[in-house]
Amino acid sequence: MLGVQMQRLLCWLTVMFSGCMCAVTIADEPQFSRDILPLLSDRCFACHGPDPSQRKADLRLDTREGATAKVIVPGDAAGSELMRRLTTLDADLQMPPVEAHKPVLTAAEVQLFADWIRAGAPWGRHWAFERPLRVSIPEGRHPVDVLIERQLERAGLTAAAEAPAGVLLRRVSFDLTGLPPTPAELASDLTWNQHVDRLLASPHYGERMAMWWLDAARYADTDGFQADATRDNWPWRDWVVDAFNSNQSFAQFTVEQFAGDLLPNASAEQRLATCFHRNHMTNGEGGRDPEESRVDYVLDRVNTMGTLYLGLTLNCSQCHSHKFDPITQRDYYGLTAFFNSIDEDGRAGRSAKPYLAYESRHVARAVAEAEQLVAERRPREQQARVAAEQPFAVWLEEQRAALRGGAKSWHVLRGALESVEGTLLEQDAEGVIQASGPNPRQDDYRLSAAVGLSRVTGIRLEVYPHASHTRGGFSRGLSGEFILTDIKVQVRQRDSSVVRDISVSGAVADFSPSQKEARSYGDVRGVLDDDPRNGWTTRGAPAIVPHAAVFELTTPLVISADEELVFEMRQRSTDGDSNLGRFRVFVTDEAGPAVRSTGSTPCELLALVEGAPDEALRGQLMEQFLEDFEPHRVARKALAVAESQLREVQAAKRVEVMVLAEKAESRPTFILERGLWDRHGDEVQRGGLSEIAPLNGSGLTRLDLARWLVSGEHPLTARVLVNHLWQLCFGVGLVRTPEDFGVQGERPDQAELLDWLAVECVESGWDVKHLLRLIVTSAAYRRNSDVTSEQRERDPDNRFYARGARFRLPSWMLRDAALHAAGLLNPALGGPPVRPWQPPGVWEENFMGRFTWVPSEGAARHRRTLYAFWRRSIAPTFLFDSAQRRVCEVRSIRTNTPLQALTLLNDENYLEAARSLAVRVAGQSEPLQELSLRLLSRRLRESERLVLQREYDRALGYYRGDADAAKRFLGAESVLSEGQESAVLAALTATASLLLNLDEAVTHE
Amino acid sequence: MSDNRLTVQQAVARRAFLGNGLQSAAGLAALACLQRAACGASGSPAVGQSNPRAKRVIFLTQSGGPSQLELFDNKPGLLKWAGRELPDSVRRGQRLTTMTAGQKQLVMPSRVRFRRCGESGAEISEWLPHLQGVVDELCLVRSLYTDEINHAPAMTKFLTGHQLAGRPSMGAWTSYGLGSENSSLPEYLVLISKMQRPSDQPLYDHYWGSGFLPSRHQGVKLRNSREPVLYLRDPDGLPRELRRGMLDGLTELNQQHLEQSGDPEIAARIRQYEMAWRMQTSIPELADLSDEPEEVFELYGPDSRRPGSYAANCILARRLAERGVRFVQLFHPDWDHHSRLPSWCTARCRDTDQASAALVVDLKRRGLLEDTLVIWGGEFGRGVAGQGQWDSIEAGRDHHPRCFTMWLAGGGVKSGISFGATDDFSYNVAVDSVHVRDLHATILDLLGIDHERLVYRHQGLDFRLTGVESAKVIKAIIQ
Repeated sequence: MLGVQMQRLLCWLTVMFSGCMCAVTIADEPQFSRDILPLLSDRCFACHGPDPSQRKADLRLDTREGATAKVIVPGDAAGSELMRRLTTLDADLQMPPVEAHKPVLTAAEVQLFADWIRAGAPWGRHWAFERPLRVSIPEGRHPVDVLIERQLERAGLTAAAEAPAGVLLRRVSFDLTGLPPTPAELASDLTWNQHVDRLLASPHYGERMAMWWLDAARYADTDGFQADATRDNWPWRDWVVDAFNSNQSFAQFTVEQFAGDLLPNASAEQRLATCFHRNHMTNGEGGRDPEESRVDYVLDRVNTMGTLYLGLTLNCSQCHSHKFDPITQRDYYGLTAFFNSIDEDGRAGRSAKPYLAYESRHVARAVAEAEQLVAERRPREQQARVAAEQPFAVWLEEQRAALRGGAKSWHVLRGALESVEGTLLEQDAEGVIQASGPNPRQDDYRLSAAVGLSRVTGIRLEVYPHASHTRGGFSRGLSGEFILTDIKVQVRQRDSSVVRDISVSGAVADFSPSQKEARSYGDVRGVLDDDPRNGWTTRGAPAIVPHAAVFELTTPLVISADEELVFEMRQRSTDGDSNLGRFRVFVTDEAGPAVRSTGSTPCELLALVEGAPDEALRGQLMEQFLEDFEPHRVARKALAVAESQLREVQAAKRVEVMVLAEKAESRPTFILERGLWDRHGDEVQRGGLSEIAPLNGSGLTRLDLARWLVSGEHPLTARVLVNHLWQLCFGVGLVRTPEDFGVQGERPDQAELLDWLAVECVESGWDVKHLLRLIVTSAAYRRNSDVTSEQRERDPDNRFYARGARFRLPSWMLRDAALHAAGLLNPALGGPPVRPWQPPGVWEENFMGRFTWVPSEGAARHRRTLYAFWRRSIAPTFLFDSAQRRVCEVRSIRTNTPLQALTLLNDENYLEAARSLAVRVAGQSEPLQELSLRLLSRRLRESERLVLQREYDRALGYYRGDADAAKRFLGAESVLSEGQESAVLAALTATASLLLNLDEAVTHE
Repeated sequence: MSDNRLTVQQAVARRAFLGNGLQSAAGLAALACLQRAACGASGSPAVGQSNPRAKRVIFLTQSGGPSQLELFDNKPGLLKWAGRELPDSVRRGQRLTTMTAGQKQLVMPSRVRFRRCGESGAEISEWLPHLQGVVDELCLVRSLYTDEINHAPAMTKFLTGHQLAGRPSMGAWTSYGLGSENSSLPEYLVLISKMQRPSDQPLYDHYWGSGFLPSRHQGVKLRNSREPVLYLRDPDGLPRELRRGMLDGLTELNQQHLEQSGDPEIAARIRQYEMAWRMQTSIPELADLSDEPEEVFELYGPDSRRPGSYAANCILARRLAERGVRFVQLFHPDWDHHSRLPSWCTARCRDTDQASAALVVDLKRRGLLEDTLVIWGGEFGRGVAGQGQWDSIEAGRDHHPRCFTMWLAGGGVKSGISFGATDDFSYNVAVDSVHVRDLHATILDLLGIDHERLVYRHQGLDFRLTGVESAKVIKAIIQ
């Protein structure tokens, strides 16, 4: 008992204490919807709320009838059982009970209940379920400011002054286009309203808005589950950009996305719009019932609509009637019925019908861009080939001279032998290794040897029959056949305990039967994949003769004298009893054709010919030479990337976009008991939210559902929308739980303002640009964001908007801003996804090598983040705190972690921007001020300039003393132009990187 | 009170300190929760848990569903059922995946020999010879079950308590609830075995995600590359002393801005850059195994010399435990043996057996096992019926959610015991069932956290790892 009392006492003390922080509250009579309902919901509804299945003591407190029938006597607080239960110290009687783990009521909250009951316990509806009405605004005043100033006045807070012009232009440029202003824009003499109009007219406005919408619409370029297959829904992304740029009314925007396919004479674009409801994840996992998946998708659409349009946690009603809001399970499934008859079957990957075959007008530009890159690189590759002719001729002569005594391309490996399971292995004078002794079912052999070459390009394995083997075959096992399941190549430094893995890219054998099934033995390439269910065997060969296999290393392995090569042969087949009996291992340092065939190497062939080699052999030798001819190797690789990029965009000319289309015959819809896909309850008809916004009628379609949302009668849609728009400009919404306008959500900080904007939204014809213009032309938007200690104490969260909004910019804006400031940004709109730089190996790790992210090159590398390929299972690594794009997310997440610091310091996107900035400002009279102007939109104060100058000088001194470091820091592709000093550029790059990491640089000031 | 455990008061201070305006509502909820826990710790044992047995967790996650029938749950009686149809009385309407729903459920006895080992006499498969040697340190739980039959939902439930992605993972909850013992390393680290084989079950990063918890609680993946944590390496040509200068300059400029702006978030950013600087030293040091003596590699087996291997990751896990990291999670993929059990499953055993056993031995001899909880297991088990022709070596087993085996060691768990049992077919739990949420409750309990108290307010609801259904702490396996 003591514990409970202590707990209450301490919690009361806590409240009293935090009360001393003097946070502003505006006191007046308790209002049911503002003061009482949230408490009832949070502490009582779980057991005494709308969900009958959880109701205790047959008491419900979510209706006045229920409450006054039992525990509340209006006008008589002392006589109300409720008050007794709230104030008792008897743990058996107190509410909420200890086992509910709900916070006990504070003294102030208990007082609220008492005052409210004394006032007659007036009941009401939750504010968000009443239609918004707006108060009148004096002529000629800005409505946003009138309403905010009223609250400020009541709270006795003083509004901050307007922020400096540069800060403001930076703020509004980010909010409306996601990009910072250029120095020229900062210097222009446009008025504020002209700037706003300019920004709203910019094509980058649509991109900025699309990023918001894509996060909410859980857009991604892959399925998200299992194979995480790629989909081609990006034309929908471009549709969204267009819709915002052309300022399509939000009502029409909604109708087309929900039901574009049902509009009379629907255009391809209107059908494309419905991809909105196909952006959910899809699961093609092997053992899954497609119907279960299909049901998941239907529910996801309703949940997305709930979060994004209604600000309701509809998903809570999937398993039971909502515990807090008046949403029944029947309502929920009535909504799912609108989406239950899509002509889909729950499949994923490329079988996720219905599709729309679509040709995007944005592809031609992407193709032209890719063609140009190929056109730039092809001549370079040809030039490099021509440049190779002369050194090749010299090399060829050298080879001919050197090979006169006969060629030996392959060198036998001799060294220490180990077997995991105990087979005895012995190497003879010729290097042939013979197995004897125990003959385990499976075994791994390991040969560790010094190589004697300065590099290794490939490994050759020869296997031999022997009389001591079963039937004179390859193995002492039952059948005499061998099965090599996997190989591993490693390097180990002498006296070091750690090895490194060497990647093997190719395997060929003189006998390597192709297989009917992926999981059986034959094909030698099976030894490269760590899978014991496939591998190399020569079973089925016409005669028992020696065989050979050659393995090519991905890149030539440079090996030092104190390093050993470790070659591991794993024999872990299902069949077992197939371990190699006799074999020999070789290495070579010849690149190219030599390690791609088991036959004689080009050098070996050359040694056999008298005089000049014929064309074919000369060609092979040239290939080998080019492998090691650096200029050509680089040029060829660059060309290959460009060609591959071109093929990719050419293939995007016509794509299949996932869209909505109705089945000829509707599926019946049932309540799913406990939300389980196969537990059908009562059948339900399409309908709305019976208690909040009913929608009745027969023959209702998705079109009716969309119109219900944007009719202007709906209490939630417009409020939720203007709250999103406010959040885009202030970092938080007027309702700070944008996903929950229900009873458990937060109340609006500025209820009259929210409602005024909501009514304005409807009356303006859902004009998004108009609403944004209204917000950013207010004085409240333009305030200085510096915070005084008094403000921080009295209004820590800036709920009264006495100061400007200060918050960290989303990470996608940071990347775009860095590219833009550095003059790198490719401003093109639309088209197939691109791949910005990302560290190598990230996809491979999660998918064990199945997917590889190859960064785009050329202009495609510097597109806006909006266009970056989004693999749902691994979001782009240069982003942080981004929406996960798995389910609808509407709240901005902002954390502050060391990993973010590392990203901004070391990600190549930012380093590239820093280098490019350095090139642009070098040689200017005030390079540091120029950097600041581009990155912070303002000049440095002297105290700041001194710090920056000091760091610049330090870096300059360092790089003047170490030219090589400067070169490495500036990257392989030199950014130096005529007359620039590399030490200066490196120092400026370091300085630009420092500025990119400033708190101010990443912040909406 | 132990000096290493973050006290609740410290936790409150820490949270108030890091909390930002945006998440203030959620932050306050957590704060209130912790304050209540504080009340409990000082006043009433009925509120909150305050007796941590484990300070940290090493979770050896075996992705794909290892077969309990081949590894832990010996059913010699199945021989007489070989090739016969599984009785309906056993199957009781169990859902199958679409991979085997069309075929007859013919019983396939395991072909593996089991051995009674150690003083406890627990039976372990011959495929796990090293584990046999440490059986007296283990607590085998043979009666786990889950509700999910496909990988992604089952693994998501196994790690986050819910089958749909979006909830915080166990490691994130732990980080959120307990904070850090080491100021130079993240609280939750993830290590994935490097395999050459493309896996059919990708490891989604939501498996170690923070869900709706602040993202600093999400698992940080230690990669087996030159750069163990993404972006850890400074660019080529930028020496440390220059970086230090840059950071000093950055701090000065941020400090100047802080004085003008007054936003405490700037102070937080300054600290994060310092932490990043420290991580640039502490993580490479940690990941570099060259200071480990030869006998350690011998203990963990030959594969431990290969960076990125499961065995090397086990050594890393021990190093992380030594450094006080709260939650270390290894992932070893490819336990989904629908076919060719004798080669496929043994290959994964070979990857993991010696190192898993070595980790237990190594922790013990260093005195770390008593407060480090080691957990081994996957998202579900495998069915008694053969998939494919039951009597051929081609056969495998399909997914099975109704029973599977895991083992735990150290961290206040009883050693040398087996808990729970399945029926004669290893199909249903017969005794002492343990739902995955019971496992979650138990793990949190061992860490000194009451699973009903560790809540986070999101979308108007108080979420917890164990979800809304009741979960029980398995007291019987706790010392």
